[in-house]
This record gives sequence, C-alpha cells and structure tokens, in this order.
Amino acid sequence: MRRVPENASLNDVTVVLDDRAILRGISLGLGPGLTLLRGPNGAGKTTLLRALAGLAPLARGRRSVSGGPPLYIGHRPMLLSGLTARENLAFLAAFRGLGAGDVAGALRAWGLAAEMDRPIERLSAGQRRRASLARIETERMPLVLLDEPFADLDSDALVRLRAAINTALVRGQAVLMATHMHHELDQDATHRYVLDDGALREV
Amino acid sequence: MNALDRALLVAARELAAERRRPDGFVAALTFTALLVLMESLAFGPGQARQPGVASALYWIAILFAATLVATRSFDRELEDDAIDAVLVLDGGREALYAGKVIAIAIVLAIVALAAAVLSFVLLDLGVALAGHLVLVGVLGILALPPVIVLVTLLALRVRARVALVPILSFPILMPQLVACTQGAAAALTGDASAALGWAGILAAFALVYGVLGLTIVPAAIE
Repeated sequence: MRRVPENASLNDVTVVLDDRAILRGISLGLGPGLTLLRGPNGAGKTTLLRALAGLAPLARGRRSVSGGPPLYIGHRPMLLSGLTARENLAFLAAFRGLGAGDVAGALRAWGLAAEMDRPIERLSAGQRRRASLARIETERMPLVLLDEPFADLDSDALVRLRAAINTALVRGQAVLMATHMHHELDQDATHRYVLDDGALREV
Repeated sequence: MNALDRALLVAARELAAERRRPDGFVAALTFTALLVLMESLAFGPGQARQPGVASALYWIAILFAATLVATRSFDRELEDDAIDAVLVLDGGREALYAGKVIAIAIVLAIVALAAAVLSFVLLDLGVALAGHLVLVGVLGILALPPVIVLVTLLALRVRARVALVPILSFPILMPQLVACTQGAAAALTGDASAALGWAGILAAFALVYGVLGLTIVPAAIE
C-alpha cells in the first residue's frame, strides 16, 4: 500500500454482513487525487465505501478519516422527501457548520434552477441525482466517496460531474469513486483498484 | 455547532418535511379522532364520561398516534437512504434521535390537543383541575417519544418494523401509560396531589429514557 499524506485509510479491515465476509483484510490509503474502484457486482464496492463513511460496522481493523466526516453519496440520492433540493442541501451544509453558502448557485450549476424549490420527490431520478451530486460543491470535505455517480445522468450532467471532480482534485480533496464506467475518468485517476470477492488489488 | 443546535436542526428538518407531506400527522389525527368517536358511541355517554375510562382510551389513542407518526417519519428517512446522509455526520446519530423526539413530540402535541377538544365536546367531560390536566398532558407527550423513537431506530433495518415497534415499545411504555391515565383521571376528578405525583413520574420517565436513548443510539444504529 502506498504511503502518502492520507485523507483517509482503512487498515486490515474486515466487514461481515449476514454471516458473510464482504471485505477481507482490506488496507487502503487515500491521499489527494482521484481513486477509481471497480469490480463485479456484489464484489463489495459499496460496502468498502460505507466502511470508509463509518456506515458499515467493522468486524476487524481500523478506519481513519481526517478533516471531518466524509461526503458520501451512495447509490440513491440520500435526500429527504418532503423537503426541496435547496432545503436538503442547506440542511446538510448547516449540520457540518458550513452555513448554507451558495447552495442555490451549486444547484443552478447542475441545471436545477427551476427545480430547486420543488419537493425532491417530484423531481425525476436524474434530477435527484444531480441535486445529490451538487453536494460536492456545497460540502467541500477532504474525502469524497461516490458510489456509481454516473447512474441516471445525461450527457450534460456527465460533463458537469467531470468538472466538479476536477475542481475537487484541484482543491486537494481525495475522491474515491466506485464505478463500472471507469473509462469516463480513467485519464484523471491517480490510482485504480479492483475489488473482487472481498479482496483489493491495485491495477 | 453544539449538540442542541444539531438536534434542533434535525427537528426543524423533520417538521418542514411533515408540514409539506403531513402523512404521519393526518394518519395520527384521523386515527385518534375515530377512536375517541367510537369510544363515545361504544361505551355510551354514561360510561365513557367516567374519568378513568375516558383517560385510558384517550391515552391509548395517543400512544398509537405516536407510533404512527414515528413510523411515517422513519419511512421517509429510509426512502432514498436520506438517513445515511445524517448518520455519516459527526454527532449525526444523537442529533437524529433527539431531533426526532422533539419533532414527534410537537406533532403529537397538536394531535393530542385536537383529540382532547373532541373528547370534551363528545363526552361533555368536566375538568376539576385544568392546569394539572395540562401538566399531565404535556409530560405524557414528552414521555412517549423517547421510547418509541429509540425502539424504531433499533428496529430500523428489520423488515417487520411496523409490527415490531409496538410489540417492543408498548410493554416498556406501560408505566408511562398508567401514569398518563391515572394522572389525567386525578386532574379530572380534582385530586391535585395524585395528579402531581403522576406528573412527576412522567417527568422522570421522559428524562431517564431521553438520556438512555442518547447513550444507546450512537452505538446501536446500523
């Protein structure tokens, strides 16, 4: 495993869910830059991201994250129905003590100027995904965990996502992305890993 | 931002979502109103007006209403995994628990007030000690959510959560239910010392389970 200034790390981590070891003795260090994580369905990519986010219980090993809790954007948008996109993002930024900042500006940049004040459940799947990804700009945490962020996105949003990730990299954030569409960002990646049957290897 | 600020932020988020999509509130209000109405019809005016009977049925209705509001609140959290965005944050688990308790108590207070008005109109109840009745009511509403939210959080990922929450929480809530019923009956009949005694018990339960919830929840939620 590489030794660089780390925004986050997993050290010999094992995660067991429903009596099955999903991750087995995983060690991973994440410094500034883009790390791509790929692997077949069910390999444990989501579990690895959730372990880094503190959402998966560790049966063994240690998790370390510096600079505050990571920004984790999972398979689903993770936004509360009944609230608007703007209210959701403002709440999450405020909870981190960041203030509402330019939530409206971030949502506008993601093409949601007309939708930001509509309840989140009235937006399409792609619009909800855009709203959740706008958090990359409103919560600038040292560690960003993205689980299949390309899902539901159209070509305009893909361009926007690449721009948001590039900006995050310029800011020195560590971005770990689990994706099957690794070719979209392969040239920007500093590290690439494959997770298969709970074991991790760098490629 | 301190722990109280974070809890209030979660409570405000919850109330904003409930205001825009008042599913839990409407279900609880409808259920409570129907139960009070059916009680007045089933028991007949003479029996239903007895302080013990009226209080017991009123608080049973409020207990179910609290479960309905809490269940709907966490259903909303689980849609699109919204809860994970809070759990990942520093202090998110405690804030989620405390914020939910505060918000559900506020929603429950509105439901309880409406149900009380309906009870007084339908049953033509006389109140000897209005202030004591309000005190018992407020403390009763504060005593129920800490247990219901705690059990709902512990059973969050269980498929039979809707059935499991009442099965697990109602036995724990029996002392609170007895205190609410006896306290309200005492206030209706004019027994000030008994009403205050039961109110004190309710305050103690609210405090104990509130602290217990804040202690258990951070380690217990998956």
